[in-house]
Amino acid sequence: MMRVDQAMATTETRPARRAIPAWLLWGTAIGLVQIFAIATVQPLGVSTAYPQFVGFVVEKLVPGFGASQPYLQKIGTAIGWEVMLVMGIPIGALLSRLLAGRSNGNATACALPSFWSSSRSQAVAAFVGGFLIIFGARLANGCTSGHMLSGMAQLALSGFLFGAAAFTTGTLTALLLMKRSNRAQGGER
Amino acid sequence: METTQILGLITGILFGFALHRAGFYRCGLVMRGLAFRDFTMLKVMLTAIAVGMIGAAVLATFLPDYAHLKIKPLYVWGVLLGGLIFGVGMAIAGYCPGTALVGLGAGVRDGMLAVLGGLLGAFVFILVYPVLEPWLIEPLNLGKLTLHEVLGLPYLPVALLMAALLIGIIVWLNRIETKTQATARQDQC
Repeated sequence: MMRVDQAMATTETRPARRAIPAWLLWGTAIGLVQIFAIATVQPLGVSTAYPQFVGFVVEKLVPGFGASQPYLQKIGTAIGWEVMLVMGIPIGALLSRLLAGRSNGNATACALPSFWSSSRSQAVAAFVGGFLIIFGARLANGCTSGHMLSGMAQLALSGFLFGAAAFTTGTLTALLLMKRSNRAQGGER
Repeated sequence: METTQILGLITGILFGFALHRAGFYRCGLVMRGLAFRDFTMLKVMLTAIAVGMIGAAVLATFLPDYAHLKIKPLYVWGVLLGGLIFGVGMAIAGYCPGTALVGLGAGVRDGMLAVLGGLLGAFVFILVYPVLEPWLIEPLNLGKLTLHEVLGLPYLPVALLMAALLIGIIVWLNRIETKTQATARQDQC
């Protein structure tokens, strides 16, 4: 099994080394996954699965929670395509990391330059940022996957509005944080 | 497992693998992408959207039975505000809901923390949804609008034209990046 996987990985990474840049190869691959998703069940979408999973777990602990919450009534708490997709993503990432071997030795470091001065502030930022992306995505009914990869690909106007809004505050926040971190480090360059 | 669940899992594994290979397990890729210091994120996303755009339109035109499209409604306030919140979170965490799961699978601490923050964000959203719905989700809901419908033009040509536009942007970004590669090198992580 492992040997077959490794053989596959070699054939997959070889063209990248020759000519095709990684962004083009894997960007196209993501687009093909999207076409596979559309052809089989529905376009890619990740963020709905978060509240569905929360609903599923809380329902086990507090029976009746799902029925008492209008949002869970709307999206359901069954383990369907979306939650399974979300379970598959880390498995795929782990597979990729294992197959990458030593060439990807740095894979566990959230490699920086970061905006955050210490590991602890970076950890808090990841948690708070994680909160905001799911809260924002649920308010908008989609995230980078659902609104941009899928929405924009289907020429949905909601996708274009979400993309424009997210990139506006995203870029402003990133530039502000970068300015702050540059000042703190006395300039990176 | 049902077929839909298995398809979701397979799609997730492929999606996670491709996202990991594109480099999205590192929060730095999104942070620097939003600050326009590195165009990798934009190039991967735009490539994936362009491929999906062509694929979705070709499926819808020639194999409508295999085109499981899903257009999200444009409720202006929720999509706009959700997008603005999402952008801030994406810059702070360096992850979106999908790539946080890639980080989790690859064993990156911050990816795991972003997923945990997201689960809390999902829980809070479930609780506040009844308050938000009448203010941000119900009013100004323009429905499932698409670009080609609004323009009153056929789907396939509009999709191909938009995809060509995206490819033009990708080529342009790539050219800028090649020119400034010397500076970009110092920024690599």
